[in-house]
Formats: sequence, structure tokens, C-alpha cells
Amino acid sequence: MFGGLRDRLQAARTRLSGSIQAAAARPQEQPDAPAASRPAAPEPQVVPQLRRTATFASKVKTFVIDRELIISENEIADALSELEIMLLESDVALPVTDAIIARIKKDLVGKHRRIGQSVDSLVVQTLRSALLEVLGKGFDLTSYIRDHGHPVKILFTGVNGTGKTTTVAKIGDFLKKQGFSVLIGAGDTYRAGAIEQIEVHAARIGIKIIQHQQGADPSAVLFDSVQYAVSHKIDVILADTAGRFHTKANLMSQLEKIRRVMKPDLVVYVDEAVAGNDAVVRAAEFDRTVGADAVVLTKADMDSRGGAAISIAHTIGKPLMFLGTGQGYDDIVPFSPEAVVEELLGDA
Amino acid sequence: MDQRELLTLEHYLKQYGQQAEIFASQLELMENGRMEALAAVEALQGISEADDNTVLLQIGGGASLRVRVLEPDKVLLNIGAEVIVERTNKDAVEFLKDRVIEMEASEKKVVETLDRLRSQMNEINKRLEQGYQQAVQAGRAAPAGSGDQDE
Repeated sequence: MFGGLRDRLQAARTRLSGSIQAAAARPQEQPDAPAASRPAAPEPQVVPQLRRTATFASKVKTFVIDRELIISENEIADALSELEIMLLESDVALPVTDAIIARIKKDLVGKHRRIGQSVDSLVVQTLRSALLEVLGKGFDLTSYIRDHGHPVKILFTGVNGTGKTTTVAKIGDFLKKQGFSVLIGAGDTYRAGAIEQIEVHAARIGIKIIQHQQGADPSAVLFDSVQYAVSHKIDVILADTAGRFHTKANLMSQLEKIRRVMKPDLVVYVDEAVAGNDAVVRAAEFDRTVGADAVVLTKADMDSRGGAAISIAHTIGKPLMFLGTGQGYDDIVPFSPEAVVEELLGDA
Repeated sequence: MDQRELLTLEHYLKQYGQQAEIFASQLELMENGRMEALAAVEALQGISEADDNTVLLQIGGGASLRVRVLEPDKVLLNIGAEVIVERTNKDAVEFLKDRVIEMEASEKKVVETLDRLRSQMNEINKRLEQGYQQAVQAGRAAPAGSGDQDE
């Protein structure tokens, strides 16, 4: 998952480390250099004093750890510029790229940095904070369900062919394994075969489904689903809907009607990670027109760039909830910013 | 295998078929993107080698124009996230070649998924075939049995 982005970030990490190491080496070569970097005290003056008063540990600390430098913007400008291009090439949206670069600058530039230990760990820590800032906190669906009145009604929306119906089934399976009772509302009454598809999924994972005939009013199907869930004390309703593009006014007003009738607790936008920046743009449009509380990205296992996953939360201000990673029902992972950053920064 | 089981298998087959269609169209899009990038590489290399910076520009309908490229070494390139930057001809070619490699890797994953789906479909087809044969045999056996009873 996101192999291309991981490689690019590794390259950026090496480049940034190189720039800082070069800056750190400068005071040693030019002891009289002014202002920009604070040179370490010349060894001959420090060492005799230490020999008299300090312990071995404090000697090590002074020699190895306490040497500091102030990183100037110029020293890392080229490395940051390369990082910016690398992020854009990975389809990370421009505002998100800007936010990452700004955060790295804020963390590094003008601050006293100890260079005794590892410059690499300093860079990794900075990259980690910057990525975590744009990735947001994720969305813990199980906690949400536990904390809210039942049935929790979740409406799934999105464009055609992104794997919405399969995602509904995967999340149903996930929630069932978490101990919740789940009901699926077959609200995609438009696409030929959609009802049979969700019916087969529901049968395979052992979840009750409410369905009408193809061509029926999806609002009616989902209204019936809510009634059934209330009377049978079901914990969660997963409402599938037909895929639609935000530019189709009549289909978007149908979705608005579904919202009015069903009154969902959560509207989840589903798109595919491989769509890259298009997914981010579409999510923003859906959020503007019908609203979205969280996002699921499918086919993340096929996405080498990772741009959509990195950009979507920061761009539309709504958290990522799950990443779809394959064809099986188990191939869905709750989105964890820490886990994604760990995967991107590798051995860090 | 009873009728209901046969029906379920038919549904599975249909479902896998729909998924395979989606992946096949995705593969086609990727392949188009890859071919487009390769064509751009070829065009950029052709322009850099062309005498007098003159190239043939196809304008559709089989019509072409001889055009002179004003700045053959300044390529405006969409690098991703809808951001367009200016690159030299050589850098643009390098970028596009990298992108082709990236697309090939992604295509490989889609092909693997498609192969997996197709092998699952074959498996279901085999089971369906067996089920149909069993149903036909059972149908033949039933009248003979009822005839015996009558006698």
C-alpha cells in the first residue's frame, strides 16, 4: 500500500537529513562563522574543565548531545522544494502539500537543534508530526456506535463503480465481528443486479437485509429498514445507495430526499484511492451538496501514490474511516493515522 | 445440490462477473494512460531531435499541420494533484518514463486481482456444471422411480 509515496518520502528523508548534516558540519569547519548557526564550544576550553568536575555521563552529554545548531530556512530550502515536488507527484493535493511543508519549516527552521544524536531521527520525527497533522485523527466507528443511541443509521454515498456495495458488506462483517447486530438496507434500486449483489453478500456474512424490487423508491426501502431496525432492536443500519455523480442534479436531489426520510446519523462517502486527486475533488463536492461525516477509500492496496489517503481528511475536513485493501470481507482496515505514517516512514 | 444452492452459485458468478468488469475497465483506463505517456515520451524525444524544431501536428480527421515548436526545451507538465510545472525536455521524458513504470506496477496488481476473480469464476462454473448435471440425472431417475411405484 502506497509504495511509491513511501519511496519518495524515504528519498526526501535522506535529502533533508543530508542538508541538516551539512549545516551541522559547517561550524566545525569554520569556528568563527557568525549568527546562523551557534558553534559548539571549542574542545580545548571545555575538556579540562570537565575533567575536573564532571562525571563520565555528563562528559558524554556535553560532547555528543549538547552541541546544537540553529537550522536556517536557506539550509533546507532545496530539500523542502524537492519534498514539495515529490508530494505533488504522489497526487497529494496542493493545500495539503503546503500544510506539510509549512509544518516542517515551523518545526525545523530557527530552532536550536541538538545534533549529537541522530539527524535522521530528527527528520523522521518532523515528517511524522507533519503527516499526522494532515491525516487528522481518523474515525473510530465502533466507539461511535457504542456512544450513540441505537439503531445507528449509516448512509453510504459515492460515485459509480467505486465498490460501495462491497464496502457496505465488508463493514457489516466487521461490525458483526465486533458484536453488533447489523441490518443492511438495499437502497441501490437503480443499478441492475445491485439488489441481488447485496443480497448475496448479506447471505454470506449472515446479516439481515431489507429490500424492495428494482426501480423502487430508495427512500421507501431505507425507511422500512429503519422501522425494522427499531422494532427488532438492531444496533446498526448500513444503507447502500446507487452510485451517482455530483453533477447529476436529479440523482443528488434523490439523495437529499433519502437523507430527509432516513435521517442518518452518519453519511459516509466512498471512493477509490486509485482515483487520486479526483477522489479528493469529488469528496469535496459531495460534502458541499449532501454532506459527509466520514470517508472510506477502497482499492488502497492498488494505490501506489497514496495522494488521496493523505489529502482527503485535510482537504474536506472530514476523517477517513476505513481503507479497503482487497477482495475478501476481511480486507478492510479501520484507518489509523499512526499506522499509515509508520508504514510510510518504514523503519523509523 | 438443490435448486437454492444452484441459484446462490449463479448469484456468486454474476457478482464476480460484475467485479471483473469493473477491474477490466480500470485496467483499460490505466493502459490508455500508459500508452498516452509513452506517446508523449516519443513525441518529446522526436521534438528534441527534429531539425528546425518542426513537427507534424495531427489535428484530427486525418489532417496534420507542420508546426514549429517555439520552446522545445520547455515542457509544461502535469506532475500530479493538477499542478503543472515547467520542466526541460529531458526531465519531462524522465518523469513520464517513471510514471509509466508506476502504472505498469499498478496494472500488474489489477491483472493479479482479475486473474484471481477469473479463477474463482471458473471454480463456480465447474460447480454449477456439476449441479446442473446432477439435476438432469435426478430428473431422469424420478419418472422411472414413480413408474415402478405405479406398477
